[in-house]
Amino acid sequence: MEVINKPINRRRLNHVKVSDVVIAAILIIWGLVVLLPFINVVMISFTTEAEYASTKVFLFPKRPTLASYQQLLADKRIATGYKNTLTVLLMGIPLSLFCTASFAYGSSRPNFPGRKFFFYFVLFTMLFSGGIIPMYMLMKELGLTNTLWSVVLASTVSTFYMIIMRNFFTGLPDSLIESAKLDGAGDWLILWRIILPLSMPIMATITLFYTVDRWNEWYNAMIFLQKGSLQTLQLVLRSIVLESRVDSIVVSEGGSIMYDKQNFTMGLKTAAIIITMLPVMLVFPFLQKHFVKGVLVGAIKS
Amino acid sequence: MKTAHAAQVTVSRRHTSLWAAIWKNRIVYTLLIPGLVWYVIFAYGPMGGLVLAFKRYRANLGIWGSPWIGMQNFQYVFVDAAFYKSVIKTLTINIGRMVFQFPMPIILALLLNEMRFTKLKRSIQTVLTFPHFLSWVVVASIIINLLAYNGLVNNIIKLFTGGTIFNFLGNTQVFIPMLYVTEVWKNAGWSAIVYLAAISGINTDQYEAAEIDGASRFQKLFSITLPNITPTIIVMFILAMGGLMSTGFDQVFNLSNPAVRDVAETLDMYIYRITFLSPPNFAFSTAVSLFRSIVNMVLLLLADRGAKMMGSDGLLG
Repeated sequence: MEVINKPINRRRLNHVKVSDVVIAAILIIWGLVVLLPFINVVMISFTTEAEYASTKVFLFPKRPTLASYQQLLADKRIATGYKNTLTVLLMGIPLSLFCTASFAYGSSRPNFPGRKFFFYFVLFTMLFSGGIIPMYMLMKELGLTNTLWSVVLASTVSTFYMIIMRNFFTGLPDSLIESAKLDGAGDWLILWRIILPLSMPIMATITLFYTVDRWNEWYNAMIFLQKGSLQTLQLVLRSIVLESRVDSIVVSEGGSIMYDKQNFTMGLKTAAIIITMLPVMLVFPFLQKHFVKGVLVGAIKS
Repeated sequence: MKTAHAAQVTVSRRHTSLWAAIWKNRIVYTLLIPGLVWYVIFAYGPMGGLVLAFKRYRANLGIWGSPWIGMQNFQYVFVDAAFYKSVIKTLTINIGRMVFQFPMPIILALLLNEMRFTKLKRSIQTVLTFPHFLSWVVVASIIINLLAYNGLVNNIIKLFTGGTIFNFLGNTQVFIPMLYVTEVWKNAGWSAIVYLAAISGINTDQYEAAEIDGASRFQKLFSITLPNITPTIIVMFILAMGGLMSTGFDQVFNLSNPAVRDVAETLDMYIYRITFLSPPNFAFSTAVSLFRSIVNMVLLLLADRGAKMMGSDGLLG
């Protein structure tokens, strides 16, 4: 990340001091504390029950197996979860982007009557909200409970992202639009030919934010969707790992560890964790700098 | 008579110019419509539903048909011991967050800034930023896997104690510290970015001058870096104060289990319980929820005012 390059230290790069080593050591330990749980989860998901039971501390499967994944995928819930989450993404992201971007651009224009009103109208929703019960009743009245639209529509526009976009549009030079106007271009043509191509980077960043938010969303889905066939991926993971965990604690009370007779429970759970976070894990290293850019734009301006 | 006439002309001219301005900006209003429709229905709509807090809910009559009962729901709320307990719980947990959690991203940013091995630094930063992008469902699943009786942490403990294991997940003593640790584990790397940006904005002349004077690394840290990012720290602190009554439902909900229910019942959890787990009394729940929303709004407005007094743009721009 370029933001944190500090030119000062470069000059003395040749002699490494004790304090350098101490700082590096602390950060390496911090990094390992974050990294090891992930590696541990990956390792367990690829191991057999027998091998896991015989491991003393840290596991490195000698004979990796896909058994846990096979068992997990035999359970149709994962496929259902993926399908539903992807459906929510496909329905929700274009809608979110359209509403957010057009509102952000519209409200960023200078000097239209009601500019302040519209902005504060929206800003107020950041301070105050009706809460889950009125929202649930609204969804029910609209006939949207037990449809994926309830999840899509409950959080279509994020005011925070809207403001980030609005700041971007406000920052575009006026001369750009003025000169196009002098050339006789109409408002829509300017929007289509000049503003839209210029705003592709911010669109990409906000798409990324919305996608991650939607991928991770579970609360609204838990409240609005009762049907098993509509469960989103996060809820499927919840039911596999979190809702069954109490029994496993009770079973192992007293120190003797017992596993489910049929399946290797821990293998199944870790495989479910991996499958749920896989897409985020795969794209994150490549898109990291876009996320950072997004938060910095937000932090500076809002 | 003449002046009156003149005034009338100005007024009507102002009218026409307002309409002209609106017509001139018709593209703006067209663009606002889709978002506006969403805000009216799905953000302001539920706010209308809050009238339920002042009614006795009858499912067959709906929100609007149910009879008004004034402040009665609130009277019940304010005599509910569990309500007070949850408010105090929330405040204690959040004060703990201020003490134990809040300094961590700052310390991390300072460490990263002092780190000299650039490639290693980048990899560490990537690792530390990543968990922020996972849901608390995933993170809680990982943590529970780690702290289970047969998990990695207990395997290590077993190695040192010769067989004894420690109950992390069902332990009321451990639960709240666990909230702080897991929050730092998940989000410190991400929160550090704001401070790193602040550090990168410091004028390097100051460091060069200090170096010529022979200042040590720690002298530079404490007399240049820290004072320069103090405004950022104060603003972040004030904004965190704005969330004093909320924060962390996702985390508490996913990490808790019935064994720790007593220490885990924050205001958000209390609202969840009375709404979805007890025999539902939607009007009562809505009253509690409205109380929380109002307190949160007041806190946020105060935080915004505070941040603005510190010279920041604050929350509300």
